[in-house]
Amino acid sequence: MRKLDEQREILYVIRTLDVLLSSGVGLEAAIHTVGSGGYGIISEDFSGMMKRLRKGNSRGLAPELKAMIKKAESEGYRRLLNTMYSNVTQNTDIVETLRKQGVRMENERTEAVKKYIEELGAVPETLLSIGMIGPIILAIVGLVPQILGDGAEAIVGAIDQGMINSVVQGGLVITLIGMMMIGLKAHTKDPGL
Amino acid sequence: MLFGLLETFNNSPLLLYISVIGIACAAGGIPPMMERKRRRSIENALPGLLESLSDTVGAGRGIQEAMMEQSRNVQGHLGTLLSETLEESHSSSFEAALSAFAAKTRSSQVQRVMVLIETAIEQDAPLQQILADLAMDYERLNDLMNQREEELLGRGLLIVLFVSVGLPVLIAFIVGLFAPSSSGFQIDSFNQTFSLFFGAASAIALGVSGRMLGRFKDALWWMPLWIALSMGLYLGAVVMIGG
Repeated sequence: MRKLDEQREILYVIRTLDVLLSSGVGLEAAIHTVGSGGYGIISEDFSGMMKRLRKGNSRGLAPELKAMIKKAESEGYRRLLNTMYSNVTQNTDIVETLRKQGVRMENERTEAVKKYIEELGAVPETLLSIGMIGPIILAIVGLVPQILGDGAEAIVGAIDQGMINSVVQGGLVITLIGMMMIGLKAHTKDPGL
Repeated sequence: MLFGLLETFNNSPLLLYISVIGIACAAGGIPPMMERKRRRSIENALPGLLESLSDTVGAGRGIQEAMMEQSRNVQGHLGTLLSETLEESHSSSFEAALSAFAAKTRSSQVQRVMVLIETAIEQDAPLQQILADLAMDYERLNDLMNQREEELLGRGLLIVLFVSVGLPVLIAFIVGLFAPSSSGFQIDSFNQTFSLFFGAASAIALGVSGRMLGRFKDALWWMPLWIALSMGLYLGAVVMIGG
């Protein structure tokens, strides 16, 4: 979940930092602005960082950024924090780097959306295949003892209806889990728009 | 006829409960759809507004003046809201008007843009360039969102129709044909199990479809109705075909 949230907000944060920093706002003030809300999990992170800095519970901005790099789950967020860390420790040109990162991330997002649409193309058919094959087979299994009557006992011996019911119910639950696993792709591969 | 229909499903109280809940929830599902339509129309018009503002600011006019002029030119919800807010803001500051406008649109895109414009004004930053960049950014973002919507809407509907309607009717046809209760087959418990399965499968299908389109929470409102429809279709078709 955290990774998805980070991916969803990172491009907006980069654009905001770009505008703020190129307007002459300092890095700490820019972090404070983003931390004041509107950028989901990244706002929470930045706000927590500023709170610790204000209370004096921290060794400074650079160690805080370094700790945050370890916490970040998405590549883009990690890169942004790294850029900020380099600016604090080595006084690098953060605005130029942020612009480059923004362009790169935008291209990545476009590619991710295309890939997402492509990958979800087969989901309806796969869901229907699993959702259909499972119940058809299980319906036959559940009805066989009644359809064949005594003939079934002659073929497979004594049939316990309770056991048949359990097999059908278990099979349906497994089918549902299978459908859920296929559907999970729609969530985990979300490009974060 | 209605009572007759309800009597048919007397053995499935869960279906009747979910039907009632589904009808109530469906009423709650309509406002998010309308709100989304309104918000998307505002967001789709935003890059055009930003581009026009950038041009006007580039021509040497102030941002406030540019906004006043654009509020008269921009069509749709965005133009109406902008002109309303600017008219109401005579007694307050321009910054307050921007914040009020952002809040009224209820769109995170507009809110982000307005925060950036406010900051740029405060810091005396080059507005023309910032507005042009923002216009391009949001144009590309909206293009992507629209592309996702267009390409996945059909597939999302297909999933729901296949799983919630096609599948229960197909299985009910098989069961009703080969094990009709009119011929003495004891399939009450079997039907209960399968109707529950179709309800759950329908919920999964709707959830997947909603997630694909990026509106899972909106889809939740319609879930009980689709579950009830799926269960009802199965039980109804079994009764119709099998007697």
